[in-house]
Amino acid sequence: MIKTKGAISKALSYIVLTLYALLSLYPFLWMISSALKSNKEVLSSTSLIPQEIRFDIILNTWNQLNFFKYFVNSVIIAALVVVGIILIYSMAGFGFARTKFIGSKVLFMAFLGLLFVPGVTVLVPLVQLLKALGLIGRDATLPQTYFGLIMPIINGAGPFSIFLFRNYFASLPSELHDAARVDGATNWGVFFRIFLPLATPIIATVGILNIIGTWSAYIWPSIVLNNPDWYTLPLKLKDLDLQIVIQWNVRMAASLITITPVIIAFLVLQRYYIRGLTAGAVRG
Amino acid sequence: MGHAQAGAVSRSSLGKKRKPLVQHIRDNAGILFVLPAVITFLVFGLYTVIYSVVLSFFRWNGFGKFSILPFACDPPACQFAGLDNFAYFLYKEPTMSGFFWQALQHNLIMAVVVTTGTVLIALPIAIALNRAGRGQTTYRLLIMLPMVTAGIAVYYVWSFIYEPDGLLNSVLKTLGLGFMQAKQGWLGQVDTALPALMVVMIWGAVPSATILYLAGLQTIDKDLYEASIIDGATPWQQLWQITWPLLLPVTVVIIITSINGVLQGYEMVYLMTYGGPAGHTEVVGLQIFKYGFGDQRQLGMASATSWALFVLVFAVAVVNLRLFRSRTEA
Repeated sequence: MIKTKGAISKALSYIVLTLYALLSLYPFLWMISSALKSNKEVLSSTSLIPQEIRFDIILNTWNQLNFFKYFVNSVIIAALVVVGIILIYSMAGFGFARTKFIGSKVLFMAFLGLLFVPGVTVLVPLVQLLKALGLIGRDATLPQTYFGLIMPIINGAGPFSIFLFRNYFASLPSELHDAARVDGATNWGVFFRIFLPLATPIIATVGILNIIGTWSAYIWPSIVLNNPDWYTLPLKLKDLDLQIVIQWNVRMAASLITITPVIIAFLVLQRYYIRGLTAGAVRG
Repeated sequence: MGHAQAGAVSRSSLGKKRKPLVQHIRDNAGILFVLPAVITFLVFGLYTVIYSVVLSFFRWNGFGKFSILPFACDPPACQFAGLDNFAYFLYKEPTMSGFFWQALQHNLIMAVVVTTGTVLIALPIAIALNRAGRGQTTYRLLIMLPMVTAGIAVYYVWSFIYEPDGLLNSVLKTLGLGFMQAKQGWLGQVDTALPALMVVMIWGAVPSATILYLAGLQTIDKDLYEASIIDGATPWQQLWQITWPLLLPVTVVIIITSINGVLQGYEMVYLMTYGGPAGHTEVVGLQIFKYGFGDQRQLGMASATSWALFVLVFAVAVVNLRLFRSRTEA
């Protein structure tokens, strides 16, 4: 009796999950299917399976629209952001968790306070700041512009990253620290040789969260990057709006190219992503 | 929280009364670890926040000069406005205040509908996932995809689906529900644009809520359910008397995160409708953006409105903190 009940509830669970998974995935399936169809078929058929599979659309989109270039730009920016965040905030997290200095608590609260300021509040001031520093505008070079682009993104990721690193370092046994110090290691030695290598899981978590966030960012990059050669994938994708006749199959092919790398990154680092998500719940 | 005290050993050996300067510096050397973060914070965080506060008291169209360090505001492009900006968008200037209150109303509708929708969909799915056994990992993966791919690519697919000759209308026609079609496209009609956007928002928000609920469910003691079966409880009673109350803290987190996201987010609206048609999907964040970067720039107004948004976000956070406290004390 109880067994059949269990089986029924399990079957019901699978039905619910399958239905929702379909709903959840349908836009992606539609994207893939449309990227493989001719523009005429895209508009006339609701079938997911193309009459004739056309790989040339994805290939042409990739080649003619120069997507490789924008893909590289996106990778560079995401990499700079992630490396910057991990470097700056793993150190800060260690500083807050494992060293003592005057004003440590006040500083930590100040960082967390930043969480309450909406991003859009500082958008105008940031642009003015970058102008004043010569990091934006016609005369700014590529490295200057990218620096101006990534620093506010890094700063925006600060509070949560510090929070994750600090909690992680604080959870490690203090014997690690004491033993190393007795051996004459400085705080820097302790950090770089003992704590940072132990922090790989949290580095992966902070990494994947920010890869995903940076990869799809549109508004801030669209404000800072005014040279089309420096565009990221989302910006180039948006440029397709300028087509006189909308070719939905090309748009879908371009969209597919844009999201594929981030899906791969997610599949590889899934476990760490979930950890970050549940830790984020504490943040509220 | 264990603070390992660097320098604690040397401090006690040196006595407590007076310490030489060198020792002071050594005791506080930990600050060097946070220094890069602090510099980044001062320049790109604190400075911009102060700038925004000061700017909210000025009228400035972006031309001419306005700066806070050193202070400069050259008329006629820049003028001191006192509290005018706030007064204008709140009540004094009908076009502006109308614009603001309409947008805020959309934010509130979104907050209620998207949050409720997310909770109502995510909870059953999490319960199903929790029972799924072996299939759990695969299904969890499939269900999570919408959240990692947020952004323009996904908004394009949805826009495409919502087109006048898009998938949604075609499907309705095939099902013989042609009368339900949105002839000018789901994002193009005043009565369907906001609901259509909210569907995409819920679709994007369900995954994270599901993962949080699943994590919550996994902490519930299975004995509770077994004991309740012995007492003759129905599954429905179990849901209301065990699962729901025990998951309440998770629900609170989901609600707060959702409201916060709705208040602060505007990228999706920017990319899918830009507030249209005829202002029917306008939200406060997008409005601030338009004041700051649109055709007729009013940068002081952008700042002033953004501080109104801050008050809302902060209020939600305070409520959150209150609830959290009463939860942990109870």
